Amino acid sequence: MDNQIRQLRTDKGLSQGQLAEAMGVSRQTINSIETGRYTPSLPLAIALARFFAQPVEEVFHADGAP
Amino acid sequence: MPTAPPDPPQTSPRQPPRRVWESRWWVFGTAVFLGLALLVANWVGGHPGAGVAMLGVMVVFGSVFLVGRRSETIRLMGQPDERWRTIDLAATAIAGLVLILIIIGAFLWELAHGRDGSPYTQLAAISGVTYLAALLVLRWRS
Repeated sequence: MDNQIRQLRTDKGLSQGQLAEAMGVSRQTINSIETGRYTPSLPLAIALARFFAQPVEEVFHADGAP
Repeated sequence: MPTAPPDPPQTSPRQPPRRVWESRWWVFGTAVFLGLALLVANWVGGHPGAGVAMLGVMVVFGSVFLVGRRSETIRLMGQPDERWRTIDLAATAIAGLVLILIIIGAFLWELAHGRDGSPYTQLAAISGVTYLAALLVLRWRS
């Protein structure tokens, strides 16, 4: 799943570790989400979107979605 | 210039309550307990030396979880997040699948050599019944 997490994070000047700590997950998990290797759960996706004050659909883009 | 990290957000997803068996002390204690069980079994079986060696291996294994806090991987094994839980689930499924395939292969091997297939017949039955029971329970809960 494509997403804007890396862009939003760097725009805010945060490291992966800082974002991970804020979300209550590991830095590896944030890295995996950013590289598209891991699709987060719905609660985590919503939390990330809220953290960056963005709608979920602006942060995550389902592959092949209309 | 990087901005300061934000205050702890109110948006963090609710993490599931930490379970007892996710504690590094639980892992260490379980390893030592299994090591002692191996020691007793070997002692009763007349191989105390092997028992002591196995206990040593289990203590070292458990100690890795106590002293390996600098490793993110080891730390996550003690305090898993949602990605690690997913990985753990997949790894468990793969291990179970391999085990079942080996049991079926050994069962066929035993049959082909004129034996009754024990104990692989029973192990295969337990695997099948456990799988069906898990399907029913998980379907009921979801």
